[in-house]
Amino acid sequence: MVTSNEAAVFAEHLVKRFGERRVVDGVDLSVPRGAIYGVLGPNGAGKTTTLRTVLGIIEPDEGRRSVLGHFSPREASDRVGYLPEERGLYPSMKARDAIAFMGALRGLDRRTGRARAAEMMEAAGLGHAVDAKIKTLSKGMAQLVQLLGSIVHRPDLLVLDEPFSGLDPVNQEKLEALILAERDRGATVLFSTHIMAHAERVCDRLAIIAGGKRRFEGTVDAARGTLPSRVRYLPTRPDPAIAAILPHDARPDGSVGDGWRFQLPDEGIEGLLVTLIDRGYGIAGLSIERPSLHDAFVRIVGRDAAGEQDA
Amino acid sequence: MNNAARTLRQALTIARRDFIATVFTPIFLLFLFAPVIMGSFGAVGGMGAASVADGRADKARIVAIVPDAAARTIAEADTRLRAVFRRDEEAPPALVTLRPAGDPAAQARAAFSAKDYDASAVLYGPLERPQVLYGPRGRRAADYLGLLAADTLAAGRLDGALPRVTAVQTAMAGSAAEGDNRRQSASFAVFGVFLLNLFLASQVVGTMAEERNNKVIEVLAAAVPLESVFLGKLLGMFGVAILFVCFWGTIIAQLGMLLPPQVASALAIQAAVGMPAFVALFVTYFTMAYLLLGSAFLVVGAQASTPREIQMLALPISILQMGMLALALAGTARPDSWLAVLAQMFPLSSPFAMAGRAATSPTLWPHVAAIAWQLLWVTIFITLGARLFRRGVLQSGSARPFWKRGRRADIPN
Repeated sequence: MVTSNEAAVFAEHLVKRFGERRVVDGVDLSVPRGAIYGVLGPNGAGKTTTLRTVLGIIEPDEGRRSVLGHFSPREASDRVGYLPEERGLYPSMKARDAIAFMGALRGLDRRTGRARAAEMMEAAGLGHAVDAKIKTLSKGMAQLVQLLGSIVHRPDLLVLDEPFSGLDPVNQEKLEALILAERDRGATVLFSTHIMAHAERVCDRLAIIAGGKRRFEGTVDAARGTLPSRVRYLPTRPDPAIAAILPHDARPDGSVGDGWRFQLPDEGIEGLLVTLIDRGYGIAGLSIERPSLHDAFVRIVGRDAAGEQDA
Repeated sequence: MNNAARTLRQALTIARRDFIATVFTPIFLLFLFAPVIMGSFGAVGGMGAASVADGRADKARIVAIVPDAAARTIAEADTRLRAVFRRDEEAPPALVTLRPAGDPAAQARAAFSAKDYDASAVLYGPLERPQVLYGPRGRRAADYLGLLAADTLAAGRLDGALPRVTAVQTAMAGSAAEGDNRRQSASFAVFGVFLLNLFLASQVVGTMAEERNNKVIEVLAAAVPLESVFLGKLLGMFGVAILFVCFWGTIIAQLGMLLPPQVASALAIQAAVGMPAFVALFVTYFTMAYLLLGSAFLVVGAQASTPREIQMLALPISILQMGMLALALAGTARPDSWLAVLAQMFPLSSPFAMAGRAATSPTLWPHVAAIAWQLLWVTIFITLGARLFRRGVLQSGSARPFWKRGRRADIPN
């Protein structure tokens, strides 16, 4: 685990109670500098509260955290960008001014902020809306403006709470590109999401939170690795007796005719294939499927919780 | 950058946004010219009432039914006595003399039905034992007619040689009159600070609602300590108030220069601390009253989650302000009483009471202490407000004001 000095975000045994309920229950986080780090979890898992607690918007009841090496997150606030889950902008402000205002809150002078805002909006395809009032923009455009506002001061740490929600596929793609660009610039990106595909594509590391507790921490591959790969096999001739050769968990796979499905054996599949060929079953089709992050997520948080968030 | 400088920078960023968002709107013009609208309605109403009153006053008369021999003397007495009345509205109605004809009592009663004038009071009978009839609101006119009768009788008995006395009048400095003037100035100071704040400070109450409704509050809270947010909101609206005061202050000052010198000197303020210090303290206490009441209103208003709740706060806020005014005025009327000390110590009435004190007491150090005391309370209100807001509003789920907490658990994300 990265120490608090090396990590962009470090949290140790964070606890936050609302009334009697422990919404964040002993969460540990260690986000390496320069990484894209996802916080995944079903609805009500405590993701937003964890991010708010880390950023110092609310104070933890127990535990400690540091942001960019500061145990008081406020001291690093000028180097942090934040996009909250509930998007909010002043409706009567011009888009450029809104971005510059958010930069000014983080210490960026207004003139630089306005100049950068225009450049960034141009680059994001919003050049025509530089002087448009926020209330005249579409929801997706306003969300993009707010995102630009959170990075206009070129933060070292960018925290995004459910950044993909409410965006159409085109804008989701733009956002993914922007997150990668921020990482390439040298920033650390910490974001929460419940959309596994995004996390799978962009995250270097991730934490899975459920019921206020951290259930997993590691790379995407490590998360997938919590489940074995699955093998789909189609013999050249159908024969029910083949079941005696296949692993115990092998089940007929109707989707491929007379095929079979089973977990990839721990010792590998090469020995099994040799046996099948020797016995004359041949190989008409074979695929090894790695489990998706979604499968791993369901296994880690439990099917009920995952079902709730899928709904 | 140290924390204080950063807090100030962040607060000013928010203040600037609020100031621009408030001032550069058409609604602000309505707000700025509200006194004109209010004054116009007042002027129209006043002119109507004055016209009715003038019409009635023009026809009002006091009537003396006296022989021809006494008519000239009573008219001279009326001229002498009328000179002591300061304003027309204080003076009794003009005098009409009638020659006695037939039954004086019947003639007097008939005078109340005259078509040419409206009799307020009618004197008849011998001047040694005059009879006076008076109508509604004619009691003072009846008293005046009694005085006229006595003066006329005295002049008649002295055969017109009533002594004329002209007193030498000298104004005394540092006398009870000056004390009265200072107390008057103190009341002016209290009222001045109160009125400005009555119109301006209560506007702060709904300012946090904008951020809550637009959901901008979390963006602000993540970037800036809530104390800076509160201070910024307060300073932004204070800037609006200053603009309002400067605008109207300039106009009133220009109008004041057009006043006749004797009117201007009658309106002049006498302050124990001297005029420059008094002006500086008046401005300071206006600022402190604004910050204190504004921060208190901001804290309470920040807890309200709907416009309806904010509207409901208007009445308690007005009552609170009136209470503070009453306390400060009571203290000003008795500067050495415990009530005055209480008014000067209680945080929300302190700026009003101390503004009044500046007019009546020349000692300056209590003002330094009072300003420090008031600043401390502004800090306490802002800090307390930020904490309440953080606990009540910035948790996930439904935001609830402090008066609704404890009824159910929060619904966090």
